[in-house]
Amino acid sequence: MRLAIPHQQRLPLAIAALGFLFLGLFLLYPLFNVFSASVLDGEGEKFTFANYVKILGRPFYRGAVINTLTIGVAATITTILISVPFAFALARLPVPGKAAIIALAAMPLVLPSFVSAYAIVLLLGRAGIVTQWLQSWGIGFGSIYGAGGIVLVYTLTLYPYVLLPTMAAFKAVDVSVEEAAQSLGSSPRRTLWTVTLPIVIPAILAGGLLVFIETLENFGVPFVLAEDMPIFAVEAFKLFVGETAPNPSSAGVLGVLLIAMTSLVLLIQRRFLSSRRFSTGARSAPPILRVGLGLRILATTYCWAIVLLALVPFFAIVVLSFMEFRGPVLHPNFSLANFTALFERSTRPLLNTLMFATLAAVGVTLVGVPIAYVVTRMRSAMASLLDVIATLPFAVAGTVLAIGFVVSFNSGWLILTGGPFIMVLVYTVRKVPFAVRSSSAILHQIDPSLEEASISLGRSPLQTFGRILVPLMLGGILSGFVLTWVTIASELSATVVLYSGQWRTLTVVMFQALEGGGGGIATAAASTLIIVTLLPIALLYRLVRRYELST
Amino acid sequence: MTGIVIAGATRSFGTVRAVDGVNLTVGDSEFFTLLGPSGCGKTTLLRMIAGFCELDAGEIRFGDKRIDRLPAHTRNIGMVFQNYAVFPNLTVAGNVAYGLKARRVTAADVARRVDEALALVQLAGYGERWPHQLSGGQLQRVAIARALVIRPQVLLFDEPLSNLDARLRVSMRGEIRELQKSLGITAIYVTHDQEEAMSVSDRIALMQSGRLEQVGAPAEIYRNPTSRFAAEFMGTTNLVEARALGRGGAGMISLRPEALRLDADAPAGWPRLGGSVAHVEVLGPITRFDVRLGDGSLLKVAALDEPHRTLTPGTSVTLAYDPARITVLP
Repeated sequence: MRLAIPHQQRLPLAIAALGFLFLGLFLLYPLFNVFSASVLDGEGEKFTFANYVKILGRPFYRGAVINTLTIGVAATITTILISVPFAFALARLPVPGKAAIIALAAMPLVLPSFVSAYAIVLLLGRAGIVTQWLQSWGIGFGSIYGAGGIVLVYTLTLYPYVLLPTMAAFKAVDVSVEEAAQSLGSSPRRTLWTVTLPIVIPAILAGGLLVFIETLENFGVPFVLAEDMPIFAVEAFKLFVGETAPNPSSAGVLGVLLIAMTSLVLLIQRRFLSSRRFSTGARSAPPILRVGLGLRILATTYCWAIVLLALVPFFAIVVLSFMEFRGPVLHPNFSLANFTALFERSTRPLLNTLMFATLAAVGVTLVGVPIAYVVTRMRSAMASLLDVIATLPFAVAGTVLAIGFVVSFNSGWLILTGGPFIMVLVYTVRKVPFAVRSSSAILHQIDPSLEEASISLGRSPLQTFGRILVPLMLGGILSGFVLTWVTIASELSATVVLYSGQWRTLTVVMFQALEGGGGGIATAAASTLIIVTLLPIALLYRLVRRYELST
Repeated sequence: MTGIVIAGATRSFGTVRAVDGVNLTVGDSEFFTLLGPSGCGKTTLLRMIAGFCELDAGEIRFGDKRIDRLPAHTRNIGMVFQNYAVFPNLTVAGNVAYGLKARRVTAADVARRVDEALALVQLAGYGERWPHQLSGGQLQRVAIARALVIRPQVLLFDEPLSNLDARLRVSMRGEIRELQKSLGITAIYVTHDQEEAMSVSDRIALMQSGRLEQVGAPAEIYRNPTSRFAAEFMGTTNLVEARALGRGGAGMISLRPEALRLDADAPAGWPRLGGSVAHVEVLGPITRFDVRLGDGSLLKVAALDEPHRTLTPGTSVTLAYDPARITVLP
């Protein structure tokens, strides 16, 4: 007679069971409720497709679909166009200050994109500083509101998604492949187009896909810049807030459509990229090319210009937050009035932001690391299913998940609405895919025989997890924790749906100040947010440096 | 100490039977080797003993005690892994002490036993070093010390030398054999290297496709292979049809290259074969050459180096073979 569950599978199975329970309750159940809201009538009683017919029958919402997709495609293309030459320059050309460029280029990934959008409005908007200055010289330019401005902000804030993997791919190209092409008579230029670029295309597309999905889900940037132009995530929010019927059917429809779009894109990517994985297995990075002075100056200028341009809006916000606002109008005098105004009312938003980010980052680590363990160490259909479900939040816009939470947990046996935990839980669920991805990457580096060695020496699987795996993963877990913390601190799209009363965060303060035109408080909140974001990153960087020096 | 009995051990992965009804008895303090090509099931069988692989059927006993349903961490086994599996987050002493601490040995005893174990593998004084400061051979010694220090019932070696360079492999295998003999712990050793298996083992189980092909002392398997696979896997051999050697019967005959000699070097009573030299390799101590026989078949011959003789391809030669050193295969 065999035991039902083999010993070595008990720990992974227990973790998997908890993982399914957590994700089932706080991801699948809310999403199911969004879906059922979309196919029930206003009273939530009868099954109907009328909501879909109603929404898609209105040119306004059809326009929202088209606008969202067009802006997404345009931003993806511009991002790729600026990032690929940038990546090539960093990987293969003699550009001074590469380490600094790479560190600065990663910063837009952790800084809140809607802050950048707001800065663009303050600089180039109708009453913007640069606009007015240019007008005083009689120079006018096109409006930055609408699609153009949104694409610009997306490009400046999302380009690292393409840049970083593409640069890694350029560095991973085995130089002997290029040498083979040239020995066969191909010119360096032709080699670049026919050999090198095709090898890095999967990395470019993977990065481009992240950009596209980010644009579909982004709430803050279009909220600041779209004005009358309907954009999906924003309209879903407005519908949900405005809907008075007990069943949020219209918001449900938009939510389902948004998930459908992102899932479709992800599926296409899986199909396309899984069949095209070129790995050339380079043992060392290809050498820096020898180029003329002209190209060298051009490449250097190009790299530094993009990196700095992307950070100018954030820098500008910090500077502007120390100036005097009278209503929306800015005066060039140094003043701490904005910060006084922000914190005089209450320091709660800042404390809430710090507390929620910490709780959620702890939650993400506690959920993500064990799931990554199961996904990497167990090869079974169940493990792949857990992997798929844990990746799912990636395809769900924050607004939609938040709507699902409100629908699911505002009555019944588990009531979360109105309290702080609903926000912590939504943040946790949203960031789980990132924690699973990054922890899996570390676990793949750790040979399973280390665990077996520990077990054969007499430690149980659970003790082995704590004594061997956790210490080995610690560096990765810590940096994952900080990155999660930072992105949660500037979360907006779910927060605006969920916040209530005293549980406002810094992003909500900004959001409300934008709606109410309180420019001073908005800049102060934005600049506090930037500092809150950059401090832990700087600490982490120092810690990592010290750790690297000690070993 | 502990003998090991494996009875009807079976395990399938999908449709592949990785281990297929293996019956095996390993004697107390025996050095026993599982030998075979990759995918033959030898590692799976070892992992069954260690507790990292479930049995679909059959059982494993240490002495009288059935262990195949015990969790791996309670089996009291010392295992040495192919890639050393030395914990990078612990010092050398920390690695060796790991299993002792799991057994709640007192701190003073831990320190003493760690020192003893390190001395045993010639790493005395290396306790405070970190794994990344050690060479591959030293790491393997740490792994061995770590496995020995817990005084296991059974020692398992999973291709422990395959990541080392050729010279170190030869000296380490001698050390492993010596340690095992001096401590008297029953050991099971997995390798795909026939020479390594022959040098360390008391007995060898040759495996293929999840089954035992032949079990016996190294020289016995080499000299009297019972199958074509055994004859070919244990060193080099010539498989010739009985007819080609002018013998009756339909079977194949295994004729080792060293059982063949040139006419001039051979005793008069040995049967002769005529052919021409096809290919020559002078390897130093021995010279290998191929001779094409009249029927077109090729015979591999190995002869000790003979400074005054030069063979060139195309030369006609007469070979002789030792009739006592041929094996008729079924």
